[in-house]
Amino acid sequence: MAAVKLAELRVLANIVEDLDYYQLLEVAPGATAVDVRTAYHSVARRFHPDRLRQEGPDVVAAAERVAKRVSEAYAVLRDPRRRRVYDQQKGGGERRLQLVSGGAEADRQVSQEREGKTPNGRRYITLAHQDLARDNLKNARQNLQMALTFEPDNAWVKSTLTELKEKLR
Amino acid sequence: MSEVAIGIDLGTSNSAVSIVQDGQVEVLPNTFGERIMASAVGFREDGNILVGNEAKANVVHEPSSTVTSAKRLIGRYFFSEEVKKAQAICPYQIVEGPEHSVRVQVREEVFSLPEISAMILRELKSVAESHLGHEVSKAVITVPAYFNDNQRQATKDAGKIAGLDVLRILNEPTAAALAYGFGQGLTQKVAVWDLGGGTFDISVLEIGEDVFEVISTAGDTFLGGDDFDDRLIDLLADEFIQAHGQNLRQNPHTFERLKLAAENAKKDLSLEDTVRIEIADVAKDEEGNSLSISRDLTADDFSKLTNDLIQRTFKVCDEALQQAGVLARELDGVVLVGGPTRLPVIREAVKAYFQMEPKTDVDPDVVVAMGAAIHASELVAPQQQAFLLDVTPLSLQVGVAGGFCEPVIERNTPVPIEQSRTFTTVQDNQETVVIRVYQGEQKLVDENELLGQFEFSGFPRARRGDVEIQVTFAINSDGIVDVTASEPGTGEAASTRITLSSGLSEEELQSILSENRTDRVLTDMVARAEEAAIPAAEPLPELETAPPAVAAAVASAAASMAATAPAGEETLDLATDEDGGVPELEVDSDLSEGEMNALLEGSDEELTQPALQETTAPAAEAAPAPPAPAPTAKAAPAPPAPAPTAKAAPAPPAPAPTAKAAPAAPQAAAAAPEAAPADDLFDAVGTDLRDGDPADPDEDFELGS
Ligand SMILES: Nc1ncnc2c1ncn2[C@@H]1O[C@H](COP(=O)(O)OP(=O)(O)O)[C@@H](O)[C@H]1O
Ligand SMILES: [Mg+2]
Repeated sequence: MAAVKLAELRVLANIVEDLDYYQLLEVAPGATAVDVRTAYHSVARRFHPDRLRQEGPDVVAAAERVAKRVSEAYAVLRDPRRRRVYDQQKGGGERRLQLVSGGAEADRQVSQEREGKTPNGRRYITLAHQDLARDNLKNARQNLQMALTFEPDNAWVKSTLTELKEKLR
Repeated sequence: MSEVAIGIDLGTSNSAVSIVQDGQVEVLPNTFGERIMASAVGFREDGNILVGNEAKANVVHEPSSTVTSAKRLIGRYFFSEEVKKAQAICPYQIVEGPEHSVRVQVREEVFSLPEISAMILRELKSVAESHLGHEVSKAVITVPAYFNDNQRQATKDAGKIAGLDVLRILNEPTAAALAYGFGQGLTQKVAVWDLGGGTFDISVLEIGEDVFEVISTAGDTFLGGDDFDDRLIDLLADEFIQAHGQNLRQNPHTFERLKLAAENAKKDLSLEDTVRIEIADVAKDEEGNSLSISRDLTADDFSKLTNDLIQRTFKVCDEALQQAGVLARELDGVVLVGGPTRLPVIREAVKAYFQMEPKTDVDPDVVVAMGAAIHASELVAPQQQAFLLDVTPLSLQVGVAGGFCEPVIERNTPVPIEQSRTFTTVQDNQETVVIRVYQGEQKLVDENELLGQFEFSGFPRARRGDVEIQVTFAINSDGIVDVTASEPGTGEAASTRITLSSGLSEEELQSILSENRTDRVLTDMVARAEEAAIPAAEPLPELETAPPAVAAAVASAAASMAATAPAGEETLDLATDEDGGVPELEVDSDLSEGEMNALLEGSDEELTQPALQETTAPAAEAAPAPPAPAPTAKAAPAPPAPAPTAKAAPAPPAPAPTAKAAPAAPQAAAAAPEAAPADDLFDAVGTDLRDGDPADPDEDFELGS
């Protein structure tokens, strides 16, 4: 086993608590889902505990410590809901996201987005929901497009629109 | 010489052992040339134990002393639904052991389930040893992906009893994917659809050359090929009642014959469109004339009988795909695993669901054992050719007040992983909390599986809500769950591995190991020795109705796999390497096993009883919606000096989540089971609940903000 790699692992195990998820997976903040997965595989390829078993218990323990944080980073960055919450939190200096509450917080945000965050946005989104219930996809699309002008970063509206466009094609 | 580790597929119906040798993956045949062995254990009158196809063939003759489908019972609680169901249909006796565990009783002897499974493992170990000519101890054993931690621990214990050093408990679909994609340099997203004798698993994986990443997994541990047989048995038995007014289920021997005929008819449907079911002499009418069953069964009839079972698997598939964020048509392939996947009706249904032709280039009967062997060989001498990134199949939760659970690690989280959550005390001057660990997806504790519990004390006494307790769950690479509690204020920590789950205490395990009844198994080694000594060995008990299961399986394997290597010759290339020396994984625990046992001693009763919530029911009734705040002063009954150990600790005021953590309390009251004698509950720590203040929520803690 390359001594360099083991030395790297030792260092990594020591500083692992200080790294954020992007640093752990060695990806840029703008990394795509595919980048994140590729990075996860390549970190695992180097430091997966199973691949270091013959190096002795200390090395395995260090690898285990790193692997736990890498899994956590991956669980957040591969999941757009959690990743959004994490990015917001990270602005405030938080390096870790509790996976469970991260999911719950994201759900809360999504449900807020499903209802609309501005008075005008809410109006059009409500109309769109009614259209969807009646299976009137064209009207729903129009109303969502209107909603988007008031809430340009509403991810639920955006993704629903994409779905509708796909279906109407 | 590089160390050898074997891969074992310990199935509900059938088991197999495989090794990687000289770069080849080989499924090892026993003395009779059978690579697939029935997971049947027969107890002979002379005390000897027979394992495998011979034992299975004998089940019609000696139903009550032949244990089959033991995997359905392993790691379960005696009061579980599966055990009740098994009691209704199994001809052998299922009895209750200590701590609500399950035991089987055969010929006056009582065996734990890990012991039964150990007998099967012992046989497989012996098959490998006679093949290699030397002893083998290291093994990877597979389990259904949806097995909970109790079932995994019990399987591990089985390995120990069989004299195996279990390197890893590996998920069956993951093993199958490994065997499917190994050394192929694939970049594919695949689903593994695995229907065995008693369980169903679906896993979605991303294969990236040497990486086998499980994205999601889901399953049903109550659904398998046996359920298809049951439908046929019901049909035959009901028709017989209608025609002759006699219930064939009442006679165990007749019932076994019915079962055998049903299974064989089902298997024949994998080769033919119409099969004939003939069971001669199943009963006698009033005049003493013999009665028989004779009817045709078409694939169509069968499909109608079992369609809902197949549809049930697709519900589970929906869940797995949704969790993976993948659409069925986005997959590159579907790998079929398990005996029932030989049925055209099943293949057609799977094809329709996934909108693609399933892969047929793997042998559904041995692919799991092969994957286990590949993983085993990577663990003892890493070739750096394939490694696994798996997920935890079930959420890990902590029980809180009102009979509810709070998740700490959600299902399908990649492992290894460590996660913490903070809880607070619910009573003033609370000195002890009981941390109960559950696995499952439900909100109510009763509907999840209790893995174990431990007590945490030694933190300062304070007003309720003022003491924060951090509970940390870790799942290590070897799949073992560690739970630690700590109080950040003082740094007081208690930790435990959850070891209470397999239904065997450490002492029991030790006594089983010293007695080792698995020595009575007439293993393959013995058979070989006998064969050498007495050339004309005793003939196998042959059954008119049943060709040995394996012969049938091999025949159908050959028929349905014309495109691939003939049965018995599947191999995969694998470079060899000279390397040994496997470091043991150390898991840190602040308590030694002995200390842990001491801590838990005496708390036996409440341990496995999921009716623990009863303690909280009165509170929930008394105080709907957010549980009533614990009255001050009364909360901790006359606390003696803070107890350093659990045993001395006064009444563990049990948990109560705050309003935000808990759904409406009336639900809890409704869901709470009938009251049980309070003796079963918290005796061990010295509180008699009957004396408690009824308004006093006896609850551990609530979620801190
Ligand atoms: N050719 C076949 N056609 C249909 N079902 C089969 C066939 N061969 C075996 N089975 C069924 O498959 C089940 C066992 O499958 P298997 O994969 O060996 O299970 P397990 O892994 O749980 O031991 C049994 O219910 C058996 O009846
Ligand atoms: Mg199987």
